[in-house]
Amino acid sequence: MTHQHRGATDPVMSIGQGFTLVAVVVCLAPLPLLLVVATTANWPLGFWAGGVTLDWLRQGWEAVQPYTFFSLRLAGMVLAIDLAVGLPTAWLIARHEFTGRQALVTLINLPLAIPGIAIALALILAYPLARASGLLLLLGQVVYTLPFLVATLAPALAQPALIEREAVARTLGASAIQRLWHVTLPAIRSALLAALILVFTLSMGEFNVSFFLFTPLNKTLPVELYSAYITNRVEVAAAITAIFLLFVVPAAIAIERLGGSKIGQA
Amino acid sequence: MLIASLAVPVLTLFTLALLIPLIILLRQSLLEGSSGSLTLEHYAAVIRSLAYRRALLNSVLIAFASTLLALILCFPVAVYIERSRSRYRNALAVALTIPLSLPGIVIGFFVILFFGLTGLVPQVFLLLIGERQLSFAYTFGGMLLGYLYFQIPRVVLVLRGSVSALSQDVIDVSRTLGATPWQVYLDVLLPALMPAMISAASVSLATAFGAFGTAATLSRGFRVLPLEIASSFTESFQPERAASLSIALALLTTAILLGLGQVAERAVRPGRALDTSKGGTRA
Repeated sequence: MTHQHRGATDPVMSIGQGFTLVAVVVCLAPLPLLLVVATTANWPLGFWAGGVTLDWLRQGWEAVQPYTFFSLRLAGMVLAIDLAVGLPTAWLIARHEFTGRQALVTLINLPLAIPGIAIALALILAYPLARASGLLLLLGQVVYTLPFLVATLAPALAQPALIEREAVARTLGASAIQRLWHVTLPAIRSALLAALILVFTLSMGEFNVSFFLFTPLNKTLPVELYSAYITNRVEVAAAITAIFLLFVVPAAIAIERLGGSKIGQA
Repeated sequence: MLIASLAVPVLTLFTLALLIPLIILLRQSLLEGSSGSLTLEHYAAVIRSLAYRRALLNSVLIAFASTLLALILCFPVAVYIERSRSRYRNALAVALTIPLSLPGIVIGFFVILFFGLTGLVPQVFLLLIGERQLSFAYTFGGMLLGYLYFQIPRVVLVLRGSVSALSQDVIDVSRTLGATPWQVYLDVLLPALMPAMISAASVSLATAFGAFGTAATLSRGFRVLPLEIASSFTESFQPERAASLSIALALLTTAILLGLGQVAERAVRPGRALDTSKGGTRA
Protein backbone atom coordinates (compact mmCIF):
# COMPACT_ATOMS: atom_id res chain seq x y z
CA MET A 1 0.00 0.00 0.00
CA THR A 2 2.62 2.51 0.99
CA HIS A 3 4.81 1.54 -1.91
CA GLN A 4 2.39 2.12 -4.73
CA HIS A 5 2.89 5.87 -4.62
CA ARG A 6 6.62 5.61 -5.10
CA GLY A 7 6.53 4.46 -8.71
CA ALA A 8 7.17 6.70 -11.68
CA THR A 9 3.39 7.12 -12.11
CA ASP A 10 2.97 8.87 -8.78
CA PRO A 11 2.26 12.51 -9.71
CA VAL A 12 4.29 13.81 -6.74
CA MET A 13 7.30 11.93 -8.08
CA SER A 14 6.53 13.04 -11.65
CA ILE A 15 6.86 16.67 -10.62
CA GLY A 16 10.12 15.86 -8.86
CA GLN A 17 11.32 14.00 -11.93
CA GLY A 18 10.56 16.98 -14.17
CA PHE A 19 12.52 19.38 -11.98
CA THR A 20 15.36 16.85 -11.69
CA LEU A 21 15.62 16.50 -15.45
CA VAL A 22 15.82 20.29 -15.84
CA ALA A 23 18.56 20.51 -13.19
CA VAL A 24 20.54 17.61 -14.68
CA VAL A 25 20.32 19.07 -18.20
CA VAL A 26 21.55 22.43 -16.85
CA CYS A 27 24.46 20.72 -15.05
CA LEU A 28 25.54 18.47 -17.91
CA ALA A 29 24.76 20.41 -21.11
CA PRO A 30 27.96 22.49 -21.01
CA LEU A 31 30.17 19.37 -21.24
CA PRO A 32 29.22 18.18 -24.77
CA LEU A 33 29.10 21.77 -26.03
CA LEU A 34 32.61 22.29 -24.67
CA LEU A 35 33.87 19.32 -26.70
CA VAL A 36 32.13 20.54 -29.86
CA VAL A 37 33.67 24.03 -29.57
CA ALA A 38 37.11 22.58 -28.74
CA THR A 39 37.05 20.44 -31.90
CA THR A 40 35.57 23.02 -34.31
CA ALA A 41 38.06 24.71 -36.64
CA ASN A 42 36.18 28.03 -36.65
CA TRP A 43 33.46 28.16 -34.00
CA PRO A 44 32.17 31.72 -34.60
CA LEU A 45 30.94 30.47 -37.99
CA GLY A 46 28.94 27.64 -36.43
CA PHE A 47 28.96 23.93 -35.54
CA TRP A 48 32.14 22.28 -36.79
CA ALA A 49 32.55 25.14 -39.27
CA GLY A 50 35.75 24.60 -41.22
CA GLY A 51 35.74 20.96 -40.18
CA VAL A 52 36.56 18.88 -37.14
CA THR A 53 40.04 19.42 -35.76
CA LEU A 54 42.20 18.30 -32.88
CA ASP A 55 44.57 21.25 -33.38
CA TRP A 56 43.05 23.34 -30.57
CA LEU A 57 43.34 20.47 -28.10
CA ARG A 58 46.97 19.90 -29.11
CA GLN A 59 47.74 23.62 -28.98
CA GLY A 60 45.90 23.93 -25.64
CA TRP A 61 47.78 21.02 -24.10
CA GLU A 62 51.12 22.52 -25.14
CA ALA A 63 50.12 25.85 -23.64
CA VAL A 64 48.95 24.50 -20.27
CA GLN A 65 51.31 21.54 -19.80
CA PRO A 66 53.72 23.32 -17.41
CA TYR A 67 50.82 24.74 -15.36
CA THR A 68 49.14 21.34 -15.22
CA PHE A 69 52.26 19.74 -13.79
CA PHE A 70 52.68 22.62 -11.35
CA SER A 71 49.05 22.22 -10.21
CA LEU A 72 49.52 18.45 -9.80
CA ARG A 73 52.69 18.97 -7.72
CA LEU A 74 50.97 21.60 -5.61
CA ALA A 75 47.95 19.33 -5.06
CA GLY A 76 50.35 16.58 -3.95
CA MET A 77 51.97 18.85 -1.38
CA VAL A 78 48.59 20.11 -0.16
CA LEU A 79 47.47 16.49 0.24
CA ALA A 80 50.54 15.56 2.26
CA ILE A 81 50.22 18.50 4.65
CA ASP A 82 46.44 18.13 4.96
CA LEU A 83 46.83 14.48 5.85
CA ALA A 84 49.64 15.03 8.35
CA VAL A 85 47.74 17.83 10.09
CA GLY A 86 44.15 16.76 9.46
CA LEU A 87 44.21 13.10 10.45
CA PRO A 88 45.31 13.72 14.07
CA THR A 89 42.86 16.63 14.27
CA ALA A 90 39.95 14.52 12.99
CA TRP A 91 40.85 11.78 15.46
CA LEU A 92 40.96 14.27 18.33
CA ILE A 93 37.58 15.74 17.41
CA ALA A 94 35.96 12.34 16.82
CA ARG A 95 37.23 10.60 19.95
CA HIS A 96 37.70 13.12 22.71
CA GLU A 97 35.66 15.54 24.76
CA PHE A 98 37.81 18.37 26.04
CA THR A 99 37.57 22.03 26.95
CA GLY A 100 37.89 24.09 23.80
CA ARG A 101 36.74 21.28 21.51
CA GLN A 102 33.96 23.44 20.08
CA ALA A 103 36.42 26.32 19.66
CA LEU A 104 38.75 24.01 17.74
CA VAL A 105 35.91 22.91 15.43
CA THR A 106 34.95 26.55 14.85
CA LEU A 107 38.57 27.47 14.09
CA ILE A 108 38.91 24.66 11.54
CA ASN A 109 35.67 25.69 9.82
CA LEU A 110 36.57 29.39 9.85
CA PRO A 111 38.02 29.38 6.29
CA LEU A 112 34.60 28.34 4.96
CA ALA A 113 32.99 31.52 6.26
CA ILE A 114 35.64 33.91 4.93
CA PRO A 115 35.78 34.76 1.22
CA GLY A 116 38.85 33.20 -0.46
CA ILE A 117 40.11 36.55 -1.70
CA ALA A 118 40.13 37.87 1.89
CA ILE A 119 42.28 34.91 3.00
CA ALA A 120 44.65 35.49 0.09
CA LEU A 121 44.86 39.22 0.79
CA ALA A 122 45.51 38.59 4.50
CA LEU A 123 48.35 36.18 3.66
CA ILE A 124 50.00 38.69 1.29
CA LEU A 125 49.76 41.50 3.82
CA ALA A 126 51.15 39.30 6.61
CA TYR A 127 54.04 37.72 4.72
CA PRO A 128 54.84 39.87 1.66
CA LEU A 129 58.32 38.40 1.28
CA ALA A 130 57.15 34.77 1.20
CA ARG A 131 54.98 35.28 -1.86
CA ALA A 132 57.70 34.76 -4.46
CA SER A 133 58.59 31.32 -3.08
CA GLY A 134 55.07 29.99 -3.65
CA LEU A 135 54.79 29.20 0.06
CA LEU A 136 51.72 31.44 0.45
CA LEU A 137 49.98 29.61 -2.37
CA LEU A 138 50.58 26.33 -0.54
CA LEU A 139 49.45 27.72 2.84
CA GLY A 140 46.33 29.32 1.34
CA GLN A 141 45.25 26.07 -0.31
CA VAL A 142 45.98 24.03 2.82
CA VAL A 143 43.88 26.35 4.99
CA TYR A 144 41.08 26.27 2.44
CA THR A 145 41.00 22.46 1.96
CA LEU A 146 41.64 21.25 5.52
CA PRO A 147 38.05 21.79 6.79
CA PHE A 148 36.76 19.41 4.10
CA LEU A 149 39.29 16.70 4.98
CA VAL A 150 38.52 16.88 8.70
CA ALA A 151 34.76 16.94 8.09
CA THR A 152 34.97 13.79 5.97
CA LEU A 153 37.29 11.86 8.31
CA ALA A 154 35.85 12.78 11.73
CA PRO A 155 32.45 11.02 11.28
CA ALA A 156 34.19 7.88 9.99
CA LEU A 157 36.51 7.84 13.01
CA ALA A 158 33.58 8.36 15.39
CA GLN A 159 31.69 5.18 14.38
CA PRO A 160 30.89 3.24 17.59
CA ALA A 161 31.52 -0.12 15.88
CA LEU A 162 35.07 0.93 15.01
CA ILE A 163 35.79 2.14 18.55
CA GLU A 164 34.54 -1.19 19.86
CA ARG A 165 36.75 -3.16 17.49
CA GLU A 166 39.79 -1.11 18.50
CA ALA A 167 39.01 -1.85 22.15
CA VAL A 168 38.78 -5.56 21.37
CA ALA A 169 42.12 -5.44 19.53
CA ARG A 170 43.61 -3.69 22.53
CA THR A 171 42.44 -6.33 24.99
CA LEU A 172 43.88 -8.95 22.66
CA GLY A 173 47.24 -7.24 23.05
CA ALA A 174 47.58 -5.25 19.80
CA SER A 175 49.91 -2.27 20.06
CA ALA A 176 48.80 1.25 19.13
CA ILE A 177 50.56 1.00 15.76
CA GLN A 178 49.04 -2.41 15.06
CA ARG A 179 45.57 -1.12 15.95
CA LEU A 180 45.99 1.89 13.68
CA TRP A 181 47.30 -0.19 10.76
CA HIS A 182 45.11 -3.31 11.02
CA VAL A 183 41.89 -1.98 12.53
CA THR A 184 41.44 1.78 12.17
CA LEU A 185 42.80 2.50 8.68
CA PRO A 186 40.97 -0.39 6.95
CA ALA A 187 37.71 0.69 8.60
CA ILE A 188 37.95 4.30 7.42
CA ARG A 189 39.44 3.38 4.03
CA SER A 190 36.64 4.69 1.84
CA ALA A 191 36.21 7.91 3.84
CA LEU A 192 39.97 8.44 3.68
CA LEU A 193 40.05 7.85 -0.07
CA ALA A 194 37.07 10.17 -0.58
CA ALA A 195 38.73 12.85 1.56
CA LEU A 196 41.97 12.61 -0.40
CA ILE A 197 40.21 12.81 -3.77
CA LEU A 198 38.15 15.74 -2.49
CA VAL A 199 41.23 17.68 -1.37
CA PHE A 200 42.92 16.89 -4.69
CA THR A 201 39.90 18.15 -6.67
CA LEU A 202 39.55 21.30 -4.55
CA SER A 203 43.25 22.08 -4.92
CA MET A 204 43.27 21.49 -8.69
CA GLY A 205 40.25 23.77 -9.15
CA GLU A 206 41.04 26.46 -6.59
CA PHE A 207 41.00 29.95 -8.11
CA ASN A 208 39.95 32.59 -5.57
CA VAL A 209 43.01 32.15 -3.32
CA SER A 210 45.44 31.25 -6.13
CA PHE A 211 44.57 34.24 -8.31
CA PHE A 212 46.12 36.59 -5.74
CA LEU A 213 48.99 34.40 -4.59
CA PHE A 214 50.40 33.10 -7.88
CA THR A 215 53.69 34.32 -9.33
CA PRO A 216 54.98 33.79 -12.89
CA LEU A 217 56.98 30.81 -11.63
CA ASN A 218 54.18 29.45 -9.47
CA LYS A 219 51.13 29.59 -11.66
CA THR A 220 48.26 27.13 -11.33
CA LEU A 221 46.11 25.67 -14.09
CA PRO A 222 42.93 27.62 -13.17
CA VAL A 223 44.87 30.91 -13.21
CA GLU A 224 46.10 30.05 -16.70
CA LEU A 225 42.53 29.09 -17.68
CA TYR A 226 41.34 32.52 -16.61
CA SER A 227 43.89 34.29 -18.77
CA ALA A 228 42.85 32.07 -21.70
CA TYR A 229 39.22 33.18 -21.15
CA ILE A 230 40.24 36.81 -21.22
CA THR A 231 42.75 36.77 -24.07
CA ASN A 232 42.57 33.59 -26.16
CA ARG A 233 40.14 32.56 -28.90
CA VAL A 234 37.10 30.64 -27.72
CA GLU A 235 38.16 27.30 -29.29
CA VAL A 236 41.49 27.28 -27.41
CA ALA A 237 39.79 28.32 -24.18
CA ALA A 238 37.33 25.44 -24.65
CA ALA A 239 40.16 23.00 -25.38
CA ILE A 240 42.07 23.99 -22.24
CA THR A 241 38.90 23.75 -20.18
CA ALA A 242 38.23 20.24 -21.54
CA ILE A 243 41.79 19.21 -20.54
CA PHE A 244 41.24 20.67 -17.07
CA LEU A 245 37.94 18.79 -16.67
CA LEU A 246 39.75 15.50 -17.34
CA PHE A 247 41.45 16.00 -13.98
CA VAL A 248 38.46 17.03 -11.87
CA VAL A 249 35.28 15.43 -13.23
CA PRO A 250 36.34 11.77 -12.83
CA ALA A 251 37.43 12.64 -9.27
CA ALA A 252 34.04 14.22 -8.56
CA ILE A 253 32.26 11.08 -9.78
CA ALA A 254 34.51 8.90 -7.63
CA ILE A 255 33.68 10.97 -4.54
CA GLU A 256 29.93 10.58 -5.08
CA ARG A 257 30.40 6.80 -5.61
CA LEU A 258 32.43 6.50 -2.39
CA GLY A 259 30.04 8.20 -0.07
CA GLY A 260 27.30 10.12 -1.79
CA SER A 261 25.90 13.14 -0.06
CA LYS A 262 27.79 12.42 3.17
CA ILE A 263 31.20 13.36 1.80
CA GLY A 264 32.75 16.77 2.09
CA GLN A 265 29.98 18.43 4.03
CA ALA A 266 32.37 20.34 6.18
CA MET B 1 48.89 15.27 27.76
CA LEU B 2 49.94 13.12 24.81
CA ILE B 3 46.47 13.43 23.36
CA ALA B 4 46.45 17.23 23.64
CA SER B 5 49.63 17.32 21.56
CA LEU B 6 47.60 16.08 18.58
CA ALA B 7 46.10 19.56 18.33
CA VAL B 8 49.52 21.22 18.12
CA PRO B 9 50.01 20.90 14.32
CA VAL B 10 46.59 22.29 13.41
CA LEU B 11 46.79 25.08 15.98
CA THR B 12 50.26 26.11 14.78
CA LEU B 13 49.22 26.01 11.14
CA PHE B 14 45.96 27.91 11.59
CA THR B 15 47.55 30.50 13.87
CA LEU B 16 50.32 31.23 11.35
CA ALA B 17 48.36 30.87 8.13
CA LEU B 18 44.94 32.18 9.15
CA LEU B 19 44.59 33.99 12.48
CA ILE B 20 47.72 36.18 12.31
CA PRO B 21 47.07 37.15 8.67
CA LEU B 22 43.43 38.00 9.48
CA ILE B 23 44.51 40.16 12.43
CA ILE B 24 47.00 41.94 10.15
CA LEU B 25 44.24 42.42 7.57
CA LEU B 26 42.01 43.96 10.24
CA ARG B 27 44.83 46.17 11.50
CA GLN B 28 45.62 47.32 7.96
CA SER B 29 41.99 48.36 7.48
CA LEU B 30 42.18 50.51 10.63
CA LEU B 31 45.53 52.21 10.00
CA GLU B 32 45.97 55.81 8.96
CA GLY B 33 48.15 55.89 5.85
CA SER B 34 51.14 58.00 6.94
CA SER B 35 50.99 58.55 10.70
CA GLY B 36 50.26 54.93 11.65
CA SER B 37 47.48 55.86 14.07
CA LEU B 38 44.14 54.06 14.19
CA THR B 39 41.27 55.40 12.09
CA LEU B 40 37.89 54.39 10.72
CA GLU B 41 38.53 56.56 7.67
CA HIS B 42 38.83 53.63 5.24
CA TYR B 43 35.43 52.33 6.30
CA ALA B 44 33.91 55.80 6.07
CA ALA B 45 35.35 56.13 2.57
CA VAL B 46 33.78 52.81 1.60
CA ILE B 47 30.39 53.92 2.90
CA ARG B 48 30.65 57.33 1.20
CA SER B 49 31.57 55.86 -2.17
CA LEU B 50 28.66 55.51 -4.58
CA ALA B 51 30.51 52.76 -6.51
CA TYR B 52 31.01 50.62 -3.38
CA ARG B 53 27.42 51.13 -2.22
CA ARG B 54 26.26 50.01 -5.65
CA ALA B 55 28.58 46.96 -5.56
CA LEU B 56 27.19 46.06 -2.14
CA LEU B 57 23.63 46.37 -3.41
CA ASN B 58 24.51 44.29 -6.50
CA SER B 59 26.06 41.58 -4.31
CA VAL B 60 22.92 41.41 -2.17
CA LEU B 61 20.67 41.42 -5.23
CA ILE B 62 22.40 38.62 -7.14
CA ALA B 63 22.95 36.52 -4.01
CA PHE B 64 19.26 36.60 -3.01
CA ALA B 65 17.90 36.23 -6.57
CA SER B 66 20.10 33.22 -7.37
CA THR B 67 19.40 31.63 -3.98
CA LEU B 68 15.64 31.96 -4.48
CA LEU B 69 15.87 30.35 -7.93
CA ALA B 70 18.11 27.56 -6.62
CA LEU B 71 15.68 26.77 -3.77
CA ILE B 72 12.67 26.63 -6.11
CA LEU B 73 14.47 24.39 -8.60
CA CYS B 74 16.21 22.09 -6.12
CA PHE B 75 13.42 21.44 -3.60
CA PRO B 76 11.52 18.95 -5.84
CA VAL B 77 14.87 17.62 -7.07
CA ALA B 78 15.94 16.62 -3.54
CA VAL B 79 12.56 14.94 -2.93
CA TYR B 80 12.88 12.97 -6.17
CA ILE B 81 16.51 11.90 -5.65
CA GLU B 82 15.84 10.63 -2.11
CA ARG B 83 12.37 9.11 -2.69
CA SER B 84 12.48 7.70 -6.18
CA ARG B 85 13.21 4.04 -6.87
CA SER B 86 14.40 4.79 -10.36
CA ARG B 87 17.39 2.87 -11.69
CA TYR B 88 18.90 6.17 -12.80
CA ARG B 89 18.72 7.71 -9.34
CA ASN B 90 22.44 7.32 -8.62
CA ALA B 91 23.49 8.58 -12.03
CA LEU B 92 21.28 11.65 -11.58
CA ALA B 93 22.76 12.27 -8.14
CA VAL B 94 26.29 12.09 -9.57
CA ALA B 95 25.39 14.46 -12.43
CA LEU B 96 24.07 16.99 -9.92
CA THR B 97 27.32 17.03 -7.93
CA ILE B 98 29.55 17.80 -10.93
CA PRO B 99 29.30 21.63 -10.63
CA LEU B 100 30.73 21.29 -7.10
CA SER B 101 34.15 20.42 -8.50
CA LEU B 102 34.26 23.29 -11.01
CA PRO B 103 35.93 26.62 -10.24
CA GLY B 104 33.77 29.71 -10.72
CA ILE B 105 35.74 30.82 -13.78
CA VAL B 106 34.88 27.59 -15.64
CA ILE B 107 31.20 28.11 -14.79
CA GLY B 108 31.45 31.64 -16.17
CA PHE B 109 32.99 30.22 -19.35
CA PHE B 110 30.08 27.75 -19.67
CA VAL B 111 27.68 30.71 -19.67
CA ILE B 112 29.79 32.34 -22.41
CA LEU B 113 29.66 29.12 -24.48
CA PHE B 114 25.86 29.23 -24.43
CA PHE B 115 25.00 32.93 -24.28
CA GLY B 116 28.17 34.79 -25.31
CA LEU B 117 28.36 36.78 -28.54
CA THR B 118 29.26 33.63 -30.50
CA GLY B 119 27.52 31.33 -28.02
CA LEU B 120 25.36 28.37 -29.00
CA VAL B 121 21.98 30.05 -28.46
CA PRO B 122 22.75 33.26 -30.44
CA GLN B 123 24.25 31.06 -33.21
CA VAL B 124 21.05 29.01 -33.43
CA PHE B 125 19.01 32.23 -33.59
CA LEU B 126 21.28 33.45 -36.38
CA LEU B 127 20.55 30.29 -38.35
CA LEU B 128 16.80 30.41 -37.73
CA ILE B 129 15.86 34.10 -37.96
CA GLY B 130 19.00 35.66 -39.40
CA GLU B 131 20.03 37.64 -36.31
CA ARG B 132 21.71 36.88 -32.98
CA GLN B 133 19.39 36.87 -29.98
CA LEU B 134 19.83 36.20 -26.25
CA SER B 135 23.55 36.94 -26.08
CA PHE B 136 23.23 38.01 -22.45
CA ALA B 137 26.30 36.24 -20.97
CA TYR B 138 27.96 39.48 -19.85
CA THR B 139 24.87 40.99 -18.23
CA PHE B 140 23.10 40.45 -14.91
CA GLY B 141 21.15 37.55 -16.51
CA GLY B 142 24.32 35.71 -17.47
CA MET B 143 25.84 36.15 -14.03
CA LEU B 144 22.59 35.00 -12.41
CA LEU B 145 22.70 31.81 -14.48
CA GLY B 146 26.33 31.19 -13.47
CA TYR B 147 25.54 31.71 -9.78
CA LEU B 148 22.54 29.38 -10.05
CA TYR B 149 24.79 26.73 -11.61
CA PHE B 150 27.20 26.57 -8.69
CA GLN B 151 24.38 26.70 -6.14
CA ILE B 152 22.42 23.71 -7.51
CA PRO B 153 24.67 20.98 -6.04
CA ARG B 154 25.10 22.80 -2.72
CA VAL B 155 21.37 23.30 -2.19
CA VAL B 156 20.52 19.76 -3.36
CA LEU B 157 23.07 18.25 -0.93
CA VAL B 158 21.70 20.11 2.09
CA LEU B 159 18.05 19.36 1.21
CA ARG B 160 18.71 15.67 0.44
CA GLY B 161 19.92 15.08 3.98
CA SER B 162 16.62 16.31 5.42
CA VAL B 163 14.38 14.61 2.85
CA SER B 164 15.96 11.25 3.65
CA ALA B 165 15.08 11.77 7.33
CA LEU B 166 11.45 12.48 6.45
CA SER B 167 8.88 9.71 6.84
CA GLN B 168 7.27 8.44 3.64
CA ASP B 169 3.98 8.35 5.60
CA VAL B 170 3.83 12.15 5.47
CA ILE B 171 3.44 12.00 1.69
CA ASP B 172 1.22 8.91 1.67
CA VAL B 173 -1.20 10.22 4.30
CA SER B 174 -1.62 13.58 2.61
CA ARG B 175 -2.22 11.84 -0.72
CA THR B 176 -4.82 9.58 0.89
CA LEU B 177 -6.53 12.65 2.34
CA GLY B 178 -6.87 14.01 -1.19
CA ALA B 179 -4.03 16.54 -1.47
CA THR B 180 -3.03 17.37 -5.04
CA PRO B 181 0.64 16.79 -5.96
CA TRP B 182 1.39 20.52 -5.81
CA GLN B 183 -0.34 20.72 -2.42
CA VAL B 184 1.90 17.89 -1.22
CA TYR B 185 4.92 19.98 -2.16
CA LEU B 186 3.73 23.37 -0.91
CA ASP B 187 1.55 22.50 2.11
CA VAL B 188 3.17 19.30 3.37
CA LEU B 189 6.80 18.98 2.28
CA LEU B 190 7.78 22.65 2.28
CA PRO B 191 6.83 23.26 5.95
CA ALA B 192 8.44 19.96 6.97
CA LEU B 193 11.67 20.91 5.20
CA MET B 194 11.69 24.56 6.26
CA PRO B 195 14.75 24.27 8.56
CA ALA B 196 16.68 22.58 5.75
CA MET B 197 15.53 25.24 3.28
CA ILE B 198 16.88 27.96 5.57
CA SER B 199 20.10 26.04 6.04
CA ALA B 200 20.43 25.60 2.25
CA ALA B 201 19.73 29.31 1.78
CA SER B 202 22.58 30.14 4.18
CA VAL B 203 25.05 27.99 2.27
CA SER B 204 23.85 29.42 -1.01
CA LEU B 205 24.01 33.07 0.13
CA ALA B 206 27.44 32.69 1.71
CA THR B 207 28.75 31.08 -1.47
CA ALA B 208 27.27 33.85 -3.61
CA PHE B 209 28.73 36.67 -1.48
CA GLY B 210 32.23 35.22 -1.68
CA ALA B 211 32.02 34.18 -5.35
CA PHE B 212 34.81 35.76 -7.34
CA GLY B 213 35.63 33.58 -10.35
CA THR B 214 32.22 33.62 -12.04
CA ALA B 215 31.90 37.38 -11.60
CA ALA B 216 35.48 37.99 -12.81
CA THR B 217 34.79 36.03 -16.00
CA LEU B 218 31.35 37.48 -16.78
CA SER B 219 31.09 40.95 -15.30
CA ARG B 220 31.13 43.85 -17.76
CA GLY B 221 29.75 46.62 -15.59
CA PHE B 222 27.66 44.72 -13.05
CA ARG B 223 30.18 45.05 -10.23
CA VAL B 224 29.97 42.94 -7.07
CA LEU B 225 31.99 43.37 -3.86
CA PRO B 226 34.63 40.66 -4.51
CA LEU B 227 35.45 42.38 -7.82
CA GLU B 228 35.91 45.72 -6.07
CA ILE B 229 38.21 44.08 -3.50
CA ALA B 230 40.28 42.53 -6.27
CA SER B 231 40.60 45.72 -8.30
CA SER B 232 41.39 47.90 -5.30
CA PHE B 233 44.29 45.57 -4.59
CA THR B 234 45.63 44.58 -8.01
CA GLU B 235 44.76 47.64 -10.12
CA SER B 236 45.05 50.63 -7.82
CA PHE B 237 47.15 48.96 -5.10
CA GLN B 238 45.30 50.28 -2.08
CA PRO B 239 45.73 47.41 0.41
CA GLU B 240 43.99 49.32 3.21
CA ARG B 241 40.95 49.89 0.96
CA ALA B 242 40.96 46.22 -0.11
CA ALA B 243 41.30 45.21 3.54
CA SER B 244 38.36 47.30 4.73
CA LEU B 245 36.20 46.02 1.85
CA SER B 246 37.15 42.42 2.72
CA ILE B 247 36.24 42.93 6.36
CA ALA B 248 32.96 44.56 5.31
CA LEU B 249 32.17 41.58 3.05
CA ALA B 250 33.02 39.06 5.78
CA LEU B 251 30.87 40.99 8.29
CA LEU B 252 27.96 41.21 5.85
CA THR B 253 28.12 37.47 5.14
CA THR B 254 28.33 36.63 8.84
CA ALA B 255 25.44 38.99 9.71
CA ILE B 256 23.16 37.39 7.12
CA LEU B 257 24.11 33.90 8.26
CA LEU B 258 23.44 34.82 11.90
CA GLY B 259 20.12 36.40 10.93
CA LEU B 260 19.05 33.26 9.08
CA GLY B 261 20.26 31.22 12.04
CA GLN B 262 17.82 33.15 14.24
CA VAL B 263 14.99 32.46 11.78
CA ALA B 264 15.89 28.77 11.76
CA GLU B 265 15.94 28.64 15.57
CA ARG B 266 12.39 29.91 15.54
CA ALA B 267 11.37 27.45 12.81
CA VAL B 268 12.53 24.47 14.84
CA ARG B 269 11.56 24.97 18.47
CA PRO B 270 14.16 22.71 20.14
CA GLY B 271 16.69 24.72 18.15
CA ARG B 272 19.34 22.58 16.56
CA ALA B 273 22.19 24.91 15.71
CA LEU B 274 22.23 25.93 12.09
CA ASP B 275 25.10 24.33 10.26
CA THR B 276 26.07 27.03 7.82
CA SER B 277 29.09 25.27 6.43
CA LYS B 278 27.34 22.22 4.96
CA GLY B 279 28.19 21.58 1.36
CA GLY B 280 31.02 24.07 1.28
CA THR B 281 30.70 27.72 0.52
CA ARG B 282 33.22 28.33 -2.20
CA ALA B 283 32.77 28.94 -5.87
